[in-house]
Amino acid sequence: MTRGTVSYIGQRLVLIAITTVLVSSIVFLLLHQIPGNAFLNDTRTSPASLAAQIHHYHLDLPLAEQYTLWVQGVIHGDLGESLINRGVQITPLLIRETSVSATVGFYAILITIGVGLILGVIAALRQNTWVDYIASSASVVGYSIPGFVLAIFGLLIAGHYLYIWTGGTFYYIPGWGKPEQIPLPALALGLPYAAYVARLTRASMLETIRTDYVRTAWAKGLKSRVVVMRHALRNALIPVVTILGPLITGIITGSVVIENIFGIPGLGKEFISSILNRDFNIVIGVFTFYAALVGLANLAVDVIYPILDPRIRY
Amino acid sequence: MAIAAVPQPDLASTYEMPVQQVSLLQDAWNRIRRNRLALVGAGIIVILFVTAIVSTFWTPYPVWLQAVGPTYQPPTLAHPLGLDQAGRDILSRIMGGASITVQVGVGSAIIVSLFGIPLGLLAGFYRGWVDTVISFFINIWYGIPDLLVALILVFILSDVLHLIPRGVFVIVLAFSLTRWMDVARLVRGQTLALREREFVEAARMSGARDLRIIARHIFPNALGPIIVQATFAIPAAVLFEAFLSFLGLGIPSPAPSWGAMASDGYHGLDFAPHIALAPVIALSITLMAFNWLGDGLRDAFDPRMRR
Repeated sequence: MTRGTVSYIGQRLVLIAITTVLVSSIVFLLLHQIPGNAFLNDTRTSPASLAAQIHHYHLDLPLAEQYTLWVQGVIHGDLGESLINRGVQITPLLIRETSVSATVGFYAILITIGVGLILGVIAALRQNTWVDYIASSASVVGYSIPGFVLAIFGLLIAGHYLYIWTGGTFYYIPGWGKPEQIPLPALALGLPYAAYVARLTRASMLETIRTDYVRTAWAKGLKSRVVVMRHALRNALIPVVTILGPLITGIITGSVVIENIFGIPGLGKEFISSILNRDFNIVIGVFTFYAALVGLANLAVDVIYPILDPRIRY
Repeated sequence: MAIAAVPQPDLASTYEMPVQQVSLLQDAWNRIRRNRLALVGAGIIVILFVTAIVSTFWTPYPVWLQAVGPTYQPPTLAHPLGLDQAGRDILSRIMGGASITVQVGVGSAIIVSLFGIPLGLLAGFYRGWVDTVISFFINIWYGIPDLLVALILVFILSDVLHLIPRGVFVIVLAFSLTRWMDVARLVRGQTLALREREFVEAARMSGARDLRIIARHIFPNALGPIIVQATFAIPAAVLFEAFLSFLGLGIPSPAPSWGAMASDGYHGLDFAPHIALAPVIALSITLMAFNWLGDGLRDAFDPRMRR
């Protein structure tokens, strides 16, 4: 960690904060174009209590003042209160849900990188053999199959057929809280990108194992494990690292639909249910979280990058 | 998938001029003809387009007609893909869905190009403050989850503000508003490299105006990568539409969107899996075909591969 790196990270953090507020401001301002009572979306309460509710959520203030209040809240980490479930503070709710989403996302990324690297390296080392053909065709097909399609096949196999085959003793039940409920969503989320990582790894590995320094490593009689792991793979990884940023964005986006299919109480499920319930405060809040998360994930990747490739400095 | 990172062709490297002069498209065709996967993709795409056109005039049953037979009926001879939870013919609905898919995909590719190409050309050619402004948007875009922004745009424009009814148009618009940066970034990079080349200098020396240089000298030379990028925008848009409709935020219900059909079907996965499988397989094959064609085009247009 040089001083340059620290100041670079600082600058990026400021930029992320600005981007987050800017992007969610657009959502805030667009949503607040509708009048306050429509915003509250509640027809059952009496006029007096409706007025009290509107006042409670500051919906009676001019837009500029509402916006100032909201920005001040965001800066202090306060995203306000749910419109549907009165009294529920949004920030702690979303932090709890983020930890659920992050668990699934973590395993998904492990699957993506693990499966992708192994398939890619094996395919490259066994180029033009049946191993390569199987691995390559799997990845050529796999990266076009969206996560929710895999999820539907997974549910059908693990939830339905497994129930029949095992006579109802061992099968998948959608939901969250048990460790056996993690693998299926993580696979559905991670595998499409694993196919992509495999393609990329194979291509860059093929290039690397033909370089002079790898030939030297072979020539001086090193074990194949050492040549592959320590010499070739390290450099072959560099192009793979460049796609980590888009990969994490993709996994965050994909988690929205995966969490809804598998009934996982994460950020993605909250996002869609708040949209369908028209709980606009939560919609804005989730969106703020997403913008910040994607920004931070990209920053993390950019910080890892120079560790793998020392030629890159900030 | 969505993270198709198109390698930038290395324009600086010199390559052998072909002995016989062939046009860009002719040359690309010569290459792509030898790429079996790309040809299969192109074949599937032709089938998709024909299906889409046919479905606007004729489907075995009307796409919305309910109770043409028992609900949840598995595939039979009369209904090769079976019937759904409302007793609608799934084959007819898959055909109708092809039309929506083509509209979303092609519409998005065109609008993304219409936004992205001029802005990229301007940023790369004039540099200075024009570039600063456009690059600001491109850089901001890298820090946001673009599909989720597009999702929320569709919701706000259609359901909150009621500006545009939910449908193909608003989906294409929202997708394009969050994706033009991708094309603009590519075109800007190409333009920055091309504007320093000798033929541009020669054109300027002979008194050509900026517009002519951009339109006649820079744009045609950047065309290959632009076509590749536009091709990859199609599966991304198709996936976005399916994603929205699956979540119930896309094209509203009676319309036969593949995503909405999958969403209908997955509730009955235990006893009628054919309802979800038909649209999901159609969607996967479509995405695959466009990705294969895109990969083939990328290899075909890559100057480094030229003999």
